[in-house]
Amino acid sequence: MNGLIGIAIRELRAYYRLPIGWVVTALYTFLTGVVFTLRTLEPGAPATMQFFFAIAASLLAVVAPALSMRLFAEESRSGTLETLMTSPVGDASIVLGKFLGAAGCLVTLLIPTGAFVALLFRLSSPAPDPGPIIAGYLGLLLVGSLYLAVGLVASALTSSQTLAFLGAFLFLVGHLLLTEEGAARLPSPYADWAAATSITARTRDFAAGVIDVAHVGFFVAWTGCLLVVACVIQQARRWR
Amino acid sequence: MIQASEIRKSYGRFAALRGVSFRVETGQVAGLLGPNGAGKSTTIRILTGFRPPDAGWARVADLDIARRPRAARRAVGYLPESAPLYDEMTVRDFLLFRSRLYGLGFRSRRAGADAAMARTSLHAVARKRIGTLSKGFRQRVALASALVHDPPVLILDEPTNGLDPAQVRELRALIRELAQERTMLISSHVLDEIERVCDRVVMLVGGRVRADGAPDALLRDAADRLGAPYHIEARPGAAGVPAPAAMVAALRERLMRTPGVSEVETALATDTEWVRITALTKPGVGDIRPHLAQAVAPALIREITRASIGLEDLFHELASRGESKPQTGGAA
Repeated sequence: MNGLIGIAIRELRAYYRLPIGWVVTALYTFLTGVVFTLRTLEPGAPATMQFFFAIAASLLAVVAPALSMRLFAEESRSGTLETLMTSPVGDASIVLGKFLGAAGCLVTLLIPTGAFVALLFRLSSPAPDPGPIIAGYLGLLLVGSLYLAVGLVASALTSSQTLAFLGAFLFLVGHLLLTEEGAARLPSPYADWAAATSITARTRDFAAGVIDVAHVGFFVAWTGCLLVVACVIQQARRWR
Repeated sequence: MIQASEIRKSYGRFAALRGVSFRVETGQVAGLLGPNGAGKSTTIRILTGFRPPDAGWARVADLDIARRPRAARRAVGYLPESAPLYDEMTVRDFLLFRSRLYGLGFRSRRAGADAAMARTSLHAVARKRIGTLSKGFRQRVALASALVHDPPVLILDEPTNGLDPAQVRELRALIRELAQERTMLISSHVLDEIERVCDRVVMLVGGRVRADGAPDALLRDAADRLGAPYHIEARPGAAGVPAPAAMVAALRERLMRTPGVSEVETALATDTEWVRITALTKPGVGDIRPHLAQAVAPALIREITRASIGLEDLFHELASRGESKPQTGGAA
Protein backbone atom coordinates (compact mmCIF):
# COMPACT_ATOMS: atom_id res chain seq x y z
CA MET A 1 0.00 0.00 0.00
CA ASN A 2 2.87 2.33 0.92
CA GLY A 3 4.42 1.75 -2.51
CA LEU A 4 1.10 2.30 -4.29
CA ILE A 5 0.58 5.65 -2.52
CA GLY A 6 4.19 6.61 -3.21
CA ILE A 7 3.79 5.91 -6.92
CA ALA A 8 0.47 7.82 -7.07
CA ILE A 9 1.97 10.88 -5.35
CA ARG A 10 5.08 10.77 -7.54
CA GLU A 11 2.99 10.60 -10.70
CA LEU A 12 0.75 13.46 -9.62
CA ARG A 13 3.72 15.65 -8.70
CA ALA A 14 5.49 14.75 -11.94
CA TYR A 15 2.63 16.26 -13.98
CA TYR A 16 3.21 19.62 -12.39
CA ARG A 17 7.01 19.38 -12.31
CA LEU A 18 6.87 18.90 -16.06
CA PRO A 19 5.19 21.30 -18.51
CA ILE A 20 2.56 18.74 -19.53
CA GLY A 21 0.40 19.19 -16.41
CA TRP A 22 0.33 22.97 -16.71
CA VAL A 23 -0.15 22.99 -20.49
CA VAL A 24 -3.01 20.49 -20.44
CA THR A 25 -4.69 22.23 -17.48
CA ALA A 26 -4.38 25.63 -19.16
CA LEU A 27 -5.69 24.37 -22.50
CA TYR A 28 -8.58 22.49 -20.94
CA THR A 29 -9.55 25.48 -18.78
CA PHE A 30 -9.32 27.80 -21.79
CA LEU A 31 -11.42 25.60 -24.09
CA THR A 32 -14.07 24.83 -21.48
CA GLY A 33 -14.04 28.55 -20.60
CA VAL A 34 -14.82 29.43 -24.22
CA VAL A 35 -17.70 26.92 -24.23
CA PHE A 36 -18.96 28.27 -20.91
CA THR A 37 -18.82 31.90 -22.08
CA LEU A 38 -20.44 31.30 -25.46
CA ARG A 39 -23.09 28.72 -24.62
CA THR A 40 -23.79 28.86 -20.88
CA LEU A 41 -23.62 32.55 -20.09
CA GLU A 42 -26.33 33.43 -22.64
CA PRO A 43 -28.54 36.28 -21.41
CA GLY A 44 -32.06 35.07 -20.79
CA ALA A 45 -31.15 31.39 -21.21
CA PRO A 46 -31.81 28.93 -18.33
CA ALA A 47 -28.93 28.56 -15.86
CA THR A 48 -27.81 25.08 -16.89
CA MET A 49 -24.41 23.61 -17.61
CA GLN A 50 -25.72 20.67 -19.63
CA PHE A 51 -23.98 21.68 -22.87
CA PHE A 52 -20.82 22.62 -20.96
CA PHE A 53 -20.54 19.14 -19.42
CA ALA A 54 -21.19 17.39 -22.75
CA ILE A 55 -18.37 19.33 -24.44
CA ALA A 56 -16.09 19.06 -21.39
CA ALA A 57 -16.51 15.26 -21.52
CA SER A 58 -15.72 15.18 -25.25
CA LEU A 59 -12.55 17.20 -24.67
CA LEU A 60 -11.40 14.53 -22.23
CA ALA A 61 -10.94 12.19 -25.23
CA VAL A 62 -7.90 14.34 -26.09
CA VAL A 63 -6.85 15.34 -22.60
CA ALA A 64 -6.84 11.85 -21.01
CA PRO A 65 -4.51 10.27 -23.64
CA ALA A 66 -2.22 13.30 -23.26
CA LEU A 67 -2.07 12.71 -19.49
CA SER A 68 -1.73 8.94 -19.64
CA MET A 69 0.72 8.60 -22.56
CA ARG A 70 3.80 8.97 -20.35
CA LEU A 71 2.74 6.67 -17.52
CA PHE A 72 4.46 3.51 -18.76
CA ALA A 73 5.91 4.55 -22.13
CA GLU A 74 8.29 7.10 -20.63
CA GLU A 75 9.41 4.76 -17.84
CA SER A 76 10.00 2.02 -20.37
CA ARG A 77 12.03 4.34 -22.61
CA SER A 78 14.14 5.81 -19.81
CA GLY A 79 14.71 2.50 -18.02
CA THR A 80 13.15 3.59 -14.71
CA LEU A 81 10.54 0.86 -15.15
CA GLU A 82 13.27 -1.69 -14.39
CA THR A 83 14.00 -0.06 -11.03
CA LEU A 84 10.27 0.06 -10.30
CA MET A 85 9.79 -3.58 -11.22
CA THR A 86 12.76 -4.69 -9.11
CA SER A 87 11.36 -2.94 -6.03
CA PRO A 88 9.10 -4.96 -3.70
CA VAL A 89 5.95 -3.36 -5.13
CA GLY A 90 3.53 -5.66 -6.96
CA ASP A 91 2.57 -5.11 -10.59
CA ALA A 92 -1.04 -4.36 -9.58
CA SER A 93 0.18 -1.66 -7.19
CA ILE A 94 2.34 -0.14 -9.92
CA VAL A 95 -0.62 0.01 -12.33
CA LEU A 96 -3.06 1.27 -9.70
CA GLY A 97 -0.58 3.82 -8.36
CA LYS A 98 -0.02 5.23 -11.80
CA PHE A 99 -3.74 5.30 -12.51
CA LEU A 100 -4.49 7.11 -9.24
CA GLY A 101 -1.74 9.64 -9.96
CA ALA A 102 -3.28 10.39 -13.36
CA ALA A 103 -6.78 10.47 -11.83
CA GLY A 104 -5.47 12.97 -9.28
CA CYS A 105 -4.29 15.11 -12.17
CA LEU A 106 -7.75 14.80 -13.74
CA VAL A 107 -9.31 16.11 -10.51
CA THR A 108 -6.76 18.94 -10.40
CA LEU A 109 -7.60 19.70 -14.03
CA LEU A 110 -11.28 20.10 -13.19
CA ILE A 111 -10.72 22.39 -10.19
CA PRO A 112 -10.33 25.62 -12.25
CA THR A 113 -13.69 24.92 -13.95
CA GLY A 114 -15.24 25.40 -10.50
CA ALA A 115 -14.79 29.12 -11.19
CA PHE A 116 -17.35 28.80 -13.99
CA VAL A 117 -19.83 27.24 -11.58
CA ALA A 118 -19.23 30.03 -9.06
CA LEU A 119 -19.74 32.61 -11.80
CA LEU A 120 -22.99 30.99 -12.88
CA PHE A 121 -24.28 31.01 -9.30
CA ARG A 122 -23.35 34.69 -8.96
CA LEU A 123 -24.86 35.86 -12.23
CA SER A 124 -27.98 33.69 -12.43
CA SER A 125 -31.28 34.47 -10.83
CA PRO A 126 -32.78 32.17 -9.83
CA ALA A 127 -29.64 30.24 -8.86
CA PRO A 128 -28.98 27.06 -10.86
CA ASP A 129 -29.96 23.66 -9.46
CA PRO A 130 -26.79 22.18 -7.89
CA GLY A 131 -27.94 18.57 -8.52
CA PRO A 132 -27.22 18.46 -12.28
CA ILE A 133 -23.90 20.21 -11.70
CA ILE A 134 -22.83 17.57 -9.18
CA ALA A 135 -24.01 14.84 -11.58
CA GLY A 136 -22.12 16.55 -14.40
CA TYR A 137 -18.85 16.54 -12.44
CA LEU A 138 -19.38 12.92 -11.40
CA GLY A 139 -19.87 12.11 -15.10
CA LEU A 140 -16.65 13.95 -16.01
CA LEU A 141 -14.71 12.01 -13.37
CA LEU A 142 -16.11 8.66 -14.50
CA VAL A 143 -15.60 9.35 -18.22
CA GLY A 144 -12.15 10.78 -17.55
CA SER A 145 -11.17 7.73 -15.50
CA LEU A 146 -12.30 5.37 -18.25
CA TYR A 147 -10.35 7.36 -20.85
CA LEU A 148 -7.29 7.39 -18.59
CA ALA A 149 -7.52 3.59 -18.25
CA VAL A 150 -7.63 3.29 -22.07
CA GLY A 151 -4.56 5.54 -22.23
CA LEU A 152 -2.82 3.53 -19.52
CA VAL A 153 -3.23 0.32 -21.54
CA ALA A 154 -1.92 2.07 -24.68
CA SER A 155 1.05 3.41 -22.70
CA ALA A 156 1.83 -0.06 -21.32
CA LEU A 157 1.99 -1.44 -24.86
CA THR A 158 4.72 0.84 -26.20
CA SER A 159 7.80 2.80 -25.18
CA SER A 160 6.79 5.71 -27.44
CA GLN A 161 4.65 8.42 -25.86
CA THR A 162 3.50 9.56 -29.29
CA LEU A 163 2.27 6.10 -30.20
CA ALA A 164 0.59 5.75 -26.81
CA PHE A 165 -1.23 9.06 -27.32
CA LEU A 166 -2.28 8.28 -30.88
CA GLY A 167 -3.34 4.74 -30.00
CA ALA A 168 -5.57 5.87 -27.13
CA PHE A 169 -6.91 8.94 -28.95
CA LEU A 170 -7.79 7.08 -32.15
CA PHE A 171 -9.37 4.25 -30.17
CA LEU A 172 -11.54 6.66 -28.19
CA VAL A 173 -12.56 8.75 -31.20
CA GLY A 174 -13.23 5.58 -33.22
CA HIS A 175 -15.30 4.15 -30.38
CA LEU A 176 -17.28 7.37 -29.93
CA LEU A 177 -18.03 7.60 -33.65
CA LEU A 178 -18.87 3.92 -34.07
CA THR A 179 -21.21 3.75 -31.09
CA GLU A 180 -22.87 7.10 -31.85
CA GLU A 181 -23.36 6.49 -35.56
CA GLY A 182 -23.93 2.78 -35.10
CA ALA A 183 -26.79 3.33 -32.65
CA ALA A 184 -28.45 5.67 -35.14
CA ARG A 185 -27.84 3.89 -38.45
CA LEU A 186 -27.26 0.18 -37.89
CA PRO A 187 -30.10 -2.35 -37.93
CA SER A 188 -31.09 -4.20 -34.76
CA PRO A 189 -29.43 -5.93 -32.88
CA TYR A 190 -26.22 -4.08 -33.90
CA ALA A 191 -27.74 -0.73 -33.05
CA ASP A 192 -28.64 -2.06 -29.58
CA TRP A 193 -25.08 -3.25 -29.07
CA ALA A 194 -23.73 0.12 -30.16
CA ALA A 195 -26.12 1.90 -27.79
CA ALA A 196 -25.22 -0.45 -24.94
CA THR A 197 -21.53 0.46 -25.21
CA SER A 198 -22.04 4.13 -25.98
CA ILE A 199 -20.16 6.54 -23.75
CA THR A 200 -21.73 9.65 -25.29
CA ALA A 201 -25.30 8.64 -24.40
CA ARG A 202 -24.29 8.07 -20.79
CA THR A 203 -22.39 11.34 -20.68
CA ARG A 204 -25.50 13.17 -21.88
CA ASP A 205 -27.50 11.65 -19.02
CA PHE A 206 -24.95 12.79 -16.44
CA ALA A 207 -24.89 16.26 -18.01
CA ALA A 208 -28.68 16.36 -17.73
CA GLY A 209 -28.40 15.62 -14.02
CA VAL A 210 -29.27 11.90 -14.14
CA ILE A 211 -27.12 9.69 -11.93
CA ASP A 212 -28.02 6.21 -13.14
CA VAL A 213 -26.45 3.42 -11.11
CA ALA A 214 -26.18 1.34 -14.30
CA HIS A 215 -24.16 4.13 -15.92
CA VAL A 216 -21.88 4.39 -12.87
CA GLY A 217 -21.47 0.60 -12.92
CA PHE A 218 -20.64 0.71 -16.66
CA PHE A 219 -17.80 3.19 -16.18
CA VAL A 220 -16.44 1.56 -13.02
CA ALA A 221 -16.57 -1.94 -14.53
CA TRP A 222 -14.87 -0.97 -17.80
CA THR A 223 -12.25 1.10 -16.00
CA GLY A 224 -11.57 -1.87 -13.72
CA CYS A 225 -11.33 -4.27 -16.68
CA LEU A 226 -8.85 -2.02 -18.45
CA LEU A 227 -6.71 -1.75 -15.32
CA VAL A 228 -6.65 -5.54 -15.13
CA VAL A 229 -5.55 -5.62 -18.80
CA ALA A 230 -2.77 -3.15 -17.95
CA CYS A 231 -1.71 -5.43 -15.06
CA VAL A 232 -1.57 -8.42 -17.40
CA ILE A 233 0.55 -6.44 -19.89
CA GLN A 234 2.83 -5.41 -17.05
CA GLN A 235 3.24 -9.00 -15.86
CA ALA A 236 3.81 -10.19 -19.43
CA ARG A 237 6.67 -7.70 -19.66
CA ARG A 238 8.59 -9.82 -17.15
CA TRP A 239 8.35 -12.83 -19.45
CA ARG A 240 9.51 -11.07 -22.63
CA MET B 1 24.41 -14.56 0.12
CA ILE B 2 23.64 -14.81 -3.59
CA GLN B 3 23.08 -18.21 -5.14
CA ALA B 4 22.16 -19.27 -8.64
CA SER B 5 21.54 -22.89 -9.52
CA GLU B 6 21.32 -24.24 -13.05
CA ILE B 7 19.60 -21.10 -14.30
CA ARG B 8 18.38 -21.27 -17.88
CA LYS B 9 16.79 -18.49 -19.86
CA SER B 10 15.95 -18.20 -23.54
CA TYR B 11 14.66 -15.30 -25.60
CA GLY B 12 12.83 -17.01 -28.44
CA ARG B 13 15.34 -19.41 -29.95
CA PHE B 14 18.33 -17.68 -28.41
CA ALA B 15 19.55 -19.37 -25.24
CA ALA B 16 20.91 -16.52 -23.11
CA LEU B 17 21.73 -18.69 -20.07
CA ARG B 18 22.47 -22.39 -20.33
CA GLY B 19 22.65 -23.67 -16.79
CA VAL B 20 24.42 -20.95 -14.79
CA SER B 21 25.36 -21.84 -11.21
CA PHE B 22 27.44 -19.89 -8.73
CA ARG B 23 27.36 -18.85 -5.10
CA VAL B 24 28.58 -15.65 -3.49
CA GLU B 25 28.97 -15.95 0.26
CA THR B 26 27.88 -13.28 2.72
CA GLY B 27 30.43 -10.48 2.86
CA GLN B 28 32.03 -11.37 -0.46
CA VAL B 29 32.38 -9.04 -3.43
CA ALA B 30 32.00 -10.98 -6.66
CA GLY B 31 32.67 -9.67 -10.14
CA LEU B 32 30.50 -10.88 -12.99
CA LEU B 33 32.52 -10.80 -16.19
CA GLY B 34 31.92 -11.80 -19.75
CA PRO B 35 31.88 -10.51 -23.32
CA ASN B 36 28.77 -8.87 -24.75
CA GLY B 37 25.96 -11.39 -25.05
CA ALA B 38 27.51 -13.71 -22.45
CA GLY B 39 24.41 -13.49 -20.25
CA LYS B 40 25.53 -11.01 -17.56
CA SER B 41 22.51 -8.73 -17.83
CA THR B 42 20.10 -11.67 -17.96
CA THR B 43 21.72 -13.13 -14.84
CA ILE B 44 21.43 -9.81 -13.04
CA ARG B 45 17.82 -9.37 -14.13
CA ILE B 46 16.97 -12.78 -12.74
CA LEU B 47 18.78 -12.12 -9.45
CA THR B 48 16.98 -8.79 -9.02
CA GLY B 49 13.58 -10.37 -9.71
CA PHE B 50 13.01 -8.42 -12.91
CA ARG B 51 12.65 -11.56 -15.01
CA PRO B 52 11.99 -15.15 -13.95
CA PRO B 53 14.29 -17.94 -15.19
CA ASP B 54 12.90 -20.64 -17.52
CA ALA B 55 14.50 -23.27 -15.30
CA GLY B 56 16.70 -23.41 -12.22
CA TRP B 57 16.43 -21.25 -9.14
CA ALA B 58 18.08 -18.27 -7.52
CA ARG B 59 18.28 -17.05 -3.94
CA VAL B 60 19.38 -13.77 -2.40
CA ALA B 61 19.88 -13.34 1.35
CA ASP B 62 18.52 -16.88 1.81
CA LEU B 63 15.25 -15.95 0.06
CA ASP B 64 14.03 -17.84 -2.99
CA ILE B 65 13.32 -15.23 -5.67
CA ALA B 66 10.48 -17.25 -7.25
CA ARG B 67 8.76 -18.21 -4.00
CA ARG B 68 9.23 -15.00 -2.02
CA PRO B 69 9.71 -12.39 -4.74
CA ARG B 70 8.86 -9.30 -2.71
CA ALA B 71 10.95 -10.24 0.32
CA ALA B 72 13.84 -11.13 -2.02
CA ARG B 73 13.56 -7.82 -3.89
CA ARG B 74 13.48 -5.98 -0.56
CA ALA B 75 16.81 -7.60 0.34
CA VAL B 76 18.52 -6.33 -2.82
CA GLY B 77 19.84 -2.90 -3.69
CA TYR B 78 20.17 -2.65 -7.46
CA LEU B 79 22.06 -0.18 -9.61
CA PRO B 80 21.10 -0.81 -13.26
CA GLU B 81 23.61 -0.21 -16.05
CA SER B 82 22.16 3.05 -17.37
CA ALA B 83 21.44 4.41 -13.85
CA PRO B 84 17.88 5.40 -14.80
CA LEU B 85 16.45 8.28 -12.74
CA TYR B 86 13.48 10.64 -12.74
CA ASP B 87 15.00 13.87 -14.05
CA GLU B 88 12.18 16.08 -12.82
CA MET B 89 12.62 15.05 -9.16
CA THR B 90 15.06 16.49 -6.66
CA VAL B 91 17.69 14.13 -5.27
CA ARG B 92 16.10 14.07 -1.83
CA ASP B 93 12.56 13.52 -3.14
CA PHE B 94 13.78 10.71 -5.35
CA LEU B 95 15.48 8.95 -2.44
CA LEU B 96 12.41 9.40 -0.24
CA PHE B 97 10.28 7.96 -3.05
CA ARG B 98 12.60 4.97 -3.44
CA SER B 99 12.59 4.30 0.30
CA ARG B 100 8.79 4.40 0.24
CA LEU B 101 8.77 1.72 -2.45
CA TYR B 102 10.76 -0.45 -0.05
CA GLY B 103 8.08 -0.06 2.60
CA LEU B 104 9.97 2.18 5.02
CA GLY B 105 7.94 4.26 7.46
CA PHE B 106 8.01 8.07 7.57
CA ARG B 107 10.99 8.42 9.94
CA SER B 108 12.90 5.51 8.44
CA ARG B 109 12.49 7.07 4.99
CA ARG B 110 14.11 10.28 6.09
CA ALA B 111 16.84 8.47 7.99
CA GLY B 112 17.47 6.14 5.03
CA ALA B 113 17.65 9.00 2.53
CA ASP B 114 19.98 11.01 4.78
CA ALA B 115 22.25 8.02 5.40
CA ALA B 116 22.40 7.17 1.68
CA MET B 117 23.20 10.79 0.80
CA ALA B 118 25.90 10.92 3.45
CA ARG B 119 27.48 7.70 2.13
CA THR B 120 27.51 8.98 -1.44
CA SER B 121 28.34 12.63 -0.60
CA LEU B 122 25.12 14.00 -2.05
CA HIS B 123 24.04 16.44 0.63
CA ALA B 124 25.29 19.41 -1.39
CA VAL B 125 22.92 18.58 -4.25
CA ALA B 126 20.03 17.22 -2.16
CA ARG B 127 17.59 19.87 -3.36
CA LYS B 128 18.76 19.99 -6.96
CA ARG B 129 16.78 18.48 -9.77
CA ILE B 130 18.34 15.24 -10.98
CA GLY B 131 18.11 16.41 -14.61
CA THR B 132 20.58 19.22 -13.86
CA LEU B 133 23.26 16.94 -12.36
CA SER B 134 26.50 15.77 -13.98
CA LYS B 135 27.00 12.14 -14.97
CA GLY B 136 29.08 11.48 -11.87
CA PHE B 137 26.44 12.85 -9.53
CA ARG B 138 23.71 10.95 -11.37
CA GLN B 139 25.64 7.73 -10.87
CA ARG B 140 25.96 8.53 -7.17
CA VAL B 141 22.23 9.24 -6.92
CA ALA B 142 21.50 5.87 -8.52
CA LEU B 143 23.88 4.19 -6.08
CA ALA B 144 22.28 6.05 -3.16
CA SER B 145 18.87 4.81 -4.30
CA ALA B 146 20.21 1.25 -4.12
CA LEU B 147 21.40 1.89 -0.54
CA VAL B 148 18.41 3.77 0.78
CA HIS B 149 16.78 0.74 2.41
CA ASP B 150 20.12 -0.58 3.71
CA PRO B 151 19.95 -3.92 1.86
CA PRO B 152 22.19 -6.88 2.76
CA VAL B 153 22.80 -7.59 -0.94
CA LEU B 154 23.99 -5.09 -3.54
CA ILE B 155 23.94 -5.77 -7.28
CA LEU B 156 25.74 -3.15 -9.35
CA ASP B 157 25.68 -3.26 -13.13
CA GLU B 158 28.57 -1.29 -14.64
CA PRO B 159 28.84 1.05 -11.62
CA THR B 160 31.64 3.20 -13.08
CA ASN B 161 30.01 3.72 -16.46
CA GLY B 162 30.81 7.17 -17.83
CA LEU B 163 32.74 8.36 -14.78
CA ASP B 164 36.05 10.21 -14.97
CA PRO B 165 39.15 8.66 -13.34
CA ALA B 166 38.78 10.67 -10.13
CA GLN B 167 35.14 9.66 -9.80
CA VAL B 168 36.04 6.04 -10.52
CA ARG B 169 38.57 6.15 -7.69
CA GLU B 170 35.99 7.64 -5.31
CA LEU B 171 33.37 5.09 -6.27
CA ARG B 172 35.84 2.25 -5.92
CA ALA B 173 36.64 3.40 -2.37
CA LEU B 174 32.94 3.57 -1.62
CA ILE B 175 32.38 0.07 -2.98
CA ARG B 176 35.17 -1.24 -0.77
CA GLU B 177 33.62 0.47 2.23
CA LEU B 178 30.16 -0.90 1.42
CA ALA B 179 31.57 -4.37 0.87
CA GLN B 180 32.59 -4.64 4.51
CA GLU B 181 29.04 -5.35 5.57
CA ARG B 182 27.30 -6.59 2.43
CA THR B 183 27.28 -9.26 -0.21
CA MET B 184 27.97 -7.65 -3.58
CA LEU B 185 27.81 -8.68 -7.20
CA ILE B 186 29.40 -6.26 -9.64
CA SER B 187 29.14 -6.56 -13.39
CA SER B 188 31.73 -4.58 -15.29
CA HIS B 189 33.61 -4.36 -18.55
CA VAL B 190 36.48 -2.66 -16.75
CA LEU B 191 38.61 -5.64 -15.79
CA ASP B 192 41.00 -3.54 -13.77
CA GLU B 193 38.07 -2.45 -11.64
CA ILE B 194 37.00 -6.04 -10.98
CA GLU B 195 40.58 -7.05 -10.15
CA ARG B 196 40.93 -4.23 -7.64
CA VAL B 197 37.57 -4.50 -5.95
CA CYS B 198 36.41 -8.11 -6.09
CA ASP B 199 37.57 -11.08 -4.07
CA ARG B 200 35.80 -13.46 -6.40
CA VAL B 201 35.22 -13.60 -10.15
CA VAL B 202 32.48 -15.37 -12.08
CA MET B 203 33.12 -15.32 -15.80
CA LEU B 204 30.31 -16.06 -18.22
CA VAL B 205 30.84 -17.03 -21.85
CA GLY B 206 28.00 -18.09 -24.12
CA GLY B 207 25.52 -18.35 -21.27
CA ARG B 208 27.71 -20.66 -19.17
CA VAL B 209 30.07 -20.12 -16.25
CA ARG B 210 33.58 -20.48 -17.68
CA ALA B 211 35.56 -19.48 -14.61
CA ASP B 212 34.66 -19.10 -10.96
CA GLY B 213 36.99 -18.35 -8.09
CA ALA B 214 39.32 -15.89 -6.42
CA PRO B 215 41.09 -13.66 -8.99
CA ASP B 216 44.58 -14.62 -7.71
CA ALA B 217 43.87 -18.33 -7.97
CA LEU B 218 42.27 -17.98 -11.40
CA LEU B 219 45.23 -15.97 -12.68
CA ARG B 220 47.73 -18.45 -11.20
CA ASP B 221 45.88 -21.28 -12.93
CA ALA B 222 45.77 -19.28 -16.13
CA ALA B 223 49.50 -18.59 -15.92
CA ASP B 224 50.13 -22.35 -15.58
CA ARG B 225 47.78 -23.11 -18.41
CA LEU B 226 48.89 -20.40 -20.81
CA GLY B 227 52.58 -20.58 -20.04
CA ALA B 228 53.44 -17.20 -18.62
CA PRO B 229 57.03 -16.01 -19.32
CA TYR B 230 59.73 -16.05 -16.59
CA HIS B 231 62.24 -13.26 -16.14
CA ILE B 232 65.66 -14.25 -14.83
CA GLU B 233 68.55 -12.01 -13.93
CA ALA B 234 71.84 -13.82 -13.38
CA ARG B 235 75.61 -13.21 -13.32
CA PRO B 236 77.35 -16.04 -15.17
CA GLY B 237 80.87 -14.61 -14.86
CA ALA B 238 82.94 -12.97 -12.18
CA ALA B 239 81.95 -9.82 -10.35
CA GLY B 240 82.83 -6.56 -12.07
CA VAL B 241 83.54 -8.27 -15.40
CA PRO B 242 81.05 -8.10 -18.30
CA ALA B 243 79.44 -11.50 -18.80
CA PRO B 244 81.46 -13.57 -21.32
CA ALA B 245 79.42 -14.48 -24.44
CA ALA B 246 80.36 -18.15 -24.15
CA MET B 247 79.06 -18.42 -20.61
CA VAL B 248 75.82 -16.71 -21.61
CA ALA B 249 75.43 -19.16 -24.50
CA ALA B 250 75.96 -22.09 -22.11
CA LEU B 251 73.39 -20.65 -19.73
CA ARG B 252 70.97 -20.30 -22.58
CA GLU B 253 71.62 -23.88 -23.66
CA ARG B 254 70.93 -25.23 -20.16
CA LEU B 255 67.68 -23.27 -19.95
CA MET B 256 66.55 -24.57 -23.34
CA ARG B 257 66.99 -28.12 -22.04
CA THR B 258 64.85 -27.41 -18.95
CA PRO B 259 61.51 -29.30 -19.16
CA GLY B 260 58.65 -27.03 -20.19
CA VAL B 261 60.77 -24.24 -21.70
CA SER B 262 59.94 -23.47 -25.32
CA GLU B 263 62.07 -20.44 -26.03
CA VAL B 264 64.80 -18.41 -24.35
CA GLU B 265 65.63 -14.78 -25.06
CA THR B 266 68.72 -13.12 -23.61
CA ALA B 267 69.46 -9.45 -23.34
CA LEU B 268 73.23 -9.13 -22.90
CA ALA B 269 74.45 -5.72 -21.95
CA THR B 270 78.15 -5.38 -22.80
CA ASP B 271 78.94 -2.99 -19.96
CA THR B 272 77.39 -5.03 -17.18
CA GLU B 273 78.03 -8.34 -15.51
CA TRP B 274 74.28 -9.15 -15.25
CA VAL B 275 72.31 -10.93 -17.99
CA ARG B 276 68.57 -10.58 -18.33
CA ILE B 277 66.88 -13.72 -19.64
CA THR B 278 63.27 -14.31 -20.63
CA ALA B 279 62.15 -17.95 -20.72
CA LEU B 280 58.90 -18.74 -22.50
CA THR B 281 57.14 -21.93 -21.48
CA LYS B 282 54.81 -24.39 -23.11
CA PRO B 283 51.13 -24.21 -22.07
CA GLY B 284 50.12 -26.40 -19.14
CA VAL B 285 53.55 -26.96 -17.56
CA GLY B 286 52.75 -25.19 -14.30
CA ASP B 287 55.26 -23.33 -12.13
CA ILE B 288 58.81 -24.33 -13.19
CA ARG B 289 60.79 -21.82 -11.14
CA PRO B 290 62.68 -24.56 -9.20
CA HIS B 291 63.80 -26.18 -12.51
CA LEU B 292 64.89 -22.84 -13.89
CA ALA B 293 66.86 -22.07 -10.72
CA GLN B 294 68.58 -25.45 -11.03
CA ALA B 295 69.46 -24.79 -14.69
CA VAL B 296 70.89 -21.33 -13.96
CA ALA B 297 72.52 -22.48 -10.70
CA PRO B 298 76.20 -22.24 -11.70
CA ALA B 299 75.59 -18.53 -12.21
CA LEU B 300 74.69 -16.13 -9.42
CA ILE B 301 70.92 -15.55 -9.51
CA ARG B 302 69.57 -12.13 -8.57
CA GLU B 303 65.95 -12.65 -9.61
CA ILE B 304 63.56 -15.26 -11.01
CA THR B 305 60.05 -13.89 -11.45
CA ARG B 306 57.08 -15.08 -13.29
CA ALA B 307 55.29 -12.48 -15.42
CA SER B 308 51.82 -11.99 -14.11
CA ILE B 309 48.82 -12.75 -16.26
CA GLY B 310 46.09 -10.14 -16.02
CA LEU B 311 42.38 -10.65 -15.86
CA GLU B 312 42.29 -9.26 -19.38
CA ASP B 313 44.44 -12.14 -20.67
CA LEU B 314 42.23 -14.62 -18.86
CA PHE B 315 39.12 -12.88 -20.18
CA HIS B 316 40.36 -13.06 -23.78
CA GLU B 317 41.51 -16.63 -23.41
CA LEU B 318 38.18 -17.83 -22.03
CA ALA B 319 36.15 -15.71 -24.43
CA SER B 320 38.08 -17.08 -27.40
CA ARG B 321 37.83 -20.68 -26.16
CA GLY B 322 34.08 -20.29 -25.77
CA GLU B 323 32.69 -23.74 -25.24
CA SER B 324 35.53 -25.50 -23.50
CA LYS B 325 35.78 -26.82 -19.92
CA PRO B 326 35.02 -24.43 -17.05
CA GLN B 327 37.86 -23.21 -14.81
CA THR B 328 37.67 -23.01 -11.07
CA GLY B 329 40.16 -21.66 -8.65
CA GLY B 330 40.24 -20.86 -4.96
CA ALA B 331 36.48 -20.95 -4.70
CA ALA B 332 35.24 -19.66 -1.40
